Amino acid sequence: MANTVKIKATDGSDVEFVDTVIGAGGMKDVYFSPDKSHVVAFFRDRQDFNAKDRLQNITGVYREKIFNQIGGEYWKDLYCWPTKIVEHNGKLGLVCPTYHKHFFFSTGSINNDFLGIKGKEKEGKWYASAKNQNKFLDPKERGDWFKYFQICINISRAVRRLHAAGLAHSDLSYKNVLLDPTSGKASIIDIDGLVVPGKYPPDVLGTPDFIAPEVIATKHLKMGDAARQLPKITTDRHALAVMIYMYLLYRHPLRGGKVWDTDPAKDEDLSMGAKALFVEHPTDTANRVKVKDLQPSQLPQGDPTKIPYSVCGPYLKKLFDSAFIDGLHNPAARPTADEWEQALLKTVDLMQPCQNPSCWHKWFVFDNTAKPKCPFCGAEYHGQLPVLNLYSSRRAGTFTPDDYRLMVFSEQGLYQWHVNRNISPNEKLTAEQKKRAGYFLFHNNKWLLVNERLNDLEDKTEGKKILIGQFVELTDGKQILLSKEDGGRLIIVQLVANKR
Amino acid sequence: MARRLPVYLVLDTSGSMMGEPIAAVETGVQTLVSALRQDPYALETAYLSVITFDSSAKQVVPLTELTAFQMPSIQANGLTSLGSALSLLANKIDSEVTKTTAETKGDWKPLVFIMTDGGPTDDWQKGLNELKKRRTGMVVACAAGQGADTNVLKQITECVVQLDTADRSTIKAFFKWVSASVSTGSQKVDSGTEMVGLGELPPPPPEVNIVV
Repeated sequence: MANTVKIKATDGSDVEFVDTVIGAGGMKDVYFSPDKSHVVAFFRDRQDFNAKDRLQNITGVYREKIFNQIGGEYWKDLYCWPTKIVEHNGKLGLVCPTYHKHFFFSTGSINNDFLGIKGKEKEGKWYASAKNQNKFLDPKERGDWFKYFQICINISRAVRRLHAAGLAHSDLSYKNVLLDPTSGKASIIDIDGLVVPGKYPPDVLGTPDFIAPEVIATKHLKMGDAARQLPKITTDRHALAVMIYMYLLYRHPLRGGKVWDTDPAKDEDLSMGAKALFVEHPTDTANRVKVKDLQPSQLPQGDPTKIPYSVCGPYLKKLFDSAFIDGLHNPAARPTADEWEQALLKTVDLMQPCQNPSCWHKWFVFDNTAKPKCPFCGAEYHGQLPVLNLYSSRRAGTFTPDDYRLMVFSEQGLYQWHVNRNISPNEKLTAEQKKRAGYFLFHNNKWLLVNERLNDLEDKTEGKKILIGQFVELTDGKQILLSKEDGGRLIIVQLVANKR
Repeated sequence: MARRLPVYLVLDTSGSMMGEPIAAVETGVQTLVSALRQDPYALETAYLSVITFDSSAKQVVPLTELTAFQMPSIQANGLTSLGSALSLLANKIDSEVTKTTAETKGDWKPLVFIMTDGGPTDDWQKGLNELKKRRTGMVVACAAGQGADTNVLKQITECVVQLDTADRSTIKAFFKWVSASVSTGSQKVDSGTEMVGLGELPPPPPEVNIVV
């Protein structure tokens, strides 16, 4: 039985850890607290004054800025944020909460976990690769496409909050984000490298695949050279865009067939740096993926002609264009984390369950056609599909479109953020706002909206109030008022019917 | 797009490795493969080959995907034909590593880990000259125990490490470090374009000393 070591943190509180290394990272050795609710990670190398000061701020002021506010609890699931600093035997260490159980593989790989990964951390790279997904991971670990949207929402939200506090992560990558596709959860780890603009310079450039083109293109310049670009909020935005593309499409947006140099290392620097070019660029086809170069296990996801990025829907397509066409070499044009979060949320409302029970993705984004079809398995949607177009009032008596649609499927919920333009589904929701306002039901060949908590619900077409507990049928062209409050919405029903 | 990362292990199986060292090397390679299989980046990218050398050199495992890799049993006997091993390595790089052309992305430059416990008994310079004509990534030479000739290794590569003793636990620590070296991590701010020095690799464990 290993000894329990008792020490004092720099804030004077007691810290205990069991004297057995449970893991060793690139820079730190990690120990469990006796109850395993925390870990203590000691830096192997001596930390200089700057590093110490940075950690002091991360565990202190910056942490308090995010966690010690109303709704601060919300962020505990989205970050693994170090809470205390300790010093023991001349080594500096950090106290961090232990990762949640759902971030460790419960089944692992196929064939009775032939890779032996059960119990290991769910590093994002397992999921951002078509080969790993198709060939190695047990189907129970893979989740469905809807969960990857939830994961991307969680990551965008966590990055948005960091940026709002003026902090840059500086090394966002699938190594530093744990995710759980079985629940849709994600958590940002390795927070101790946070960059505070103007205060501490970053010590890493980032992780290959995620480093912004301008950082790679100028890495040969000396530190202090005015042209040298280092990680900051705008480079986090590049990393975030790449991550979202990879988690939704299982391939890299810049890794195509174009060879810039016959030396692989130089070619890598050019294709990720100065010459970086989106593989799905609408007009410049130089870097198209060459399908013959792919391994069979990378298909079909690796082939953008089979699964183009437009399968992610109109809102995300627009942001991918900003990130990888306009903003690839123009950091100021890159979408913010907040824009990603909003676009992902709106896209989730466009999603439909695929009717093919053996479809791997299980969900797809409505393609706005009269004959909706799952782009992954090719199954056509049969039957009536209600699409609700959302309008809201900016001036009494008139309603204008919100560029927001809600696809309906049976037993789907209607929530406050659908009902009112001023409410967003994020950390600011009150307990009351989280409650379902109504739900949709396919009953006796009719689509119904059942009212659970809406006081103003009204069938405008029929001029009839729908009381709580009552329902209204969704028919083509029907107008339904959801709320009379400021920001309250009106829906206009559109019925897409694809008969067998 | 689907660049492979070729990793060549060039292992001394001469008579002096008999007993604990050779058994430790065999286990070490197995541990290395299991560790790499659990790393999603390595699993997708890394391919592994084993070349052994005693009185002659032979490739006991051709460049193989990690999930298909099986370590054969190896025996220790004979001399230390390091030169032949380097020549064979050069040939295998020619035939197994896909070159990048103007049209097609080839493989990454191969990583090479050489382990030996003695001094070469053949014309090692000739083999080295062959290898120098090939494009390699980082070459790490490991002197297992005090009998290895670090001066020769220093001429093969700048990256030379030494194990104080060639016993089970040190050899295990070495292969663990090799596995960490193959996995990638964050790039440091002060790193150059190419992987050249040991500074690019994770810090070696206490059992593995850097020879300067």
